[in-house]
Amino acid sequence: MVLQSPELEMSTHLNAGRRAGFWAVITALLVALARKFLGGETMFVNRFRAPRGGELVLAPSLSGNIVQKKLDGQKRLFVQSGSYLASTGDIDAKVRFGGLRTLFGGEGLALLECTGTGELWINSYGSVLAIPINGAFTVDTGHIVAFEGNLDFRVKSVGGMKSLFLSGEGLVCEFQGSGTVYIQSRNLSSLVHWLSPLLPS
Amino acid sequence: MHIEIQYNPAHSLATVHLAPHESIRAEAGSMVSMTDNISVTTTAGHRSGGGFFGGLKRAALGGESFFQNLFSAGAMGGKVSLAPSLAGSMVVHELRLGEELFIQGSSYVAAPESVTLDTQFQGMKGFLSGESLFFLKATGQGPVLLNAFGAIEKRELNGELIVDTGHLVAFTSGIEYSLSKAAKGWIQSFLSGEGFVLKVRGRGTLWLQSRNPSEFGGTVGRMLPAREG
Repeated sequence: MVLQSPELEMSTHLNAGRRAGFWAVITALLVALARKFLGGETMFVNRFRAPRGGELVLAPSLSGNIVQKKLDGQKRLFVQSGSYLASTGDIDAKVRFGGLRTLFGGEGLALLECTGTGELWINSYGSVLAIPINGAFTVDTGHIVAFEGNLDFRVKSVGGMKSLFLSGEGLVCEFQGSGTVYIQSRNLSSLVHWLSPLLPS
Repeated sequence: MHIEIQYNPAHSLATVHLAPHESIRAEAGSMVSMTDNISVTTTAGHRSGGGFFGGLKRAALGGESFFQNLFSAGAMGGKVSLAPSLAGSMVVHELRLGEELFIQGSSYVAAPESVTLDTQFQGMKGFLSGESLFFLKATGQGPVLLNAFGAIEKRELNGELIVDTGHLVAFTSGIEYSLSKAAKGWIQSFLSGEGFVLKVRGRGTLWLQSRNPSEFGGTVGRMLPAREG
């Protein structure tokens, strides 16, 4: 939040989805805790309500773009959890993650599965590029912003075993099918890698 | 091979369009995305760059990664997108046969195998300055992808210029350089915050970056929590 009108009412919720069942809440809580301890962001959201109207200005923490997407109730959109900025209407954001191993090593691919009707704002680190896919396409997990729900995806390492440890590429996500993937031109873990030798001893 | 650069100046992204059976060598970790029909092999050094020891020398002296990835397109051709770690621009220099390009270690991103990379040792003065003063020497033929921290400025030099070591990206042969103090005396040089500067002279092309990685590192590094243990 950057600024808001005084008449807005704010409340804080766990981002487990609007009509989340018991297990969805538990999963969201566990992922929230895991990510908290592993250096990711928390999964809590603030809900702003304007009984008499008002203004709300939002900004992400990293330099980059904000993309607005309309969800029509038919399509699903998977959003990398750090890229979720805000949503309106009855958009439901359920925590889904691309396998436990993606929670480790700073290559987090915790995903929010967004469904429902409304507007969705997603933010990126760097510029956003929408890539229409028809077939197979590979993206470094650190460069994924969002992708359409009808795409199949699989997290894997690039190349062979030697590449897994030496290539510096970490994990990649292989998409299959037809749909759009939104990627960002910068990678937060690369910045962290660049900064980590500067930690005072 | 065609390299397309989008989103300059701050968040540049380079997309390498590879014709059938073409390949490009890129810094480890710089891959953003790629099409289906591209195979990746990780190598220390490269075919024309002295193999394992070439890689070791580059990593130890060049201030860049030991390993490089070779992206090779199959019979259909393909696309690979690349990005550096820091915010800034990218630029392609078409290296011509007989030309030499000196690249400050961390400014190199990618080049095809027709370009040979070698590390140029800059002497003890480089160690003293605390800033990496090692250059990669690129020779051969083909596009060389460079990245800058901040915006990139290309200058045609004919004469002399003084450049901060942290702001230099690359320069072509024909330009000679010497390391010198920023001010006349040692104490003033130290206090000026400029440290060492490069005196460049001659005739050629020079690329400069509008931000200095070591200065950024110095500012942010101080604010980071201390290492545990």
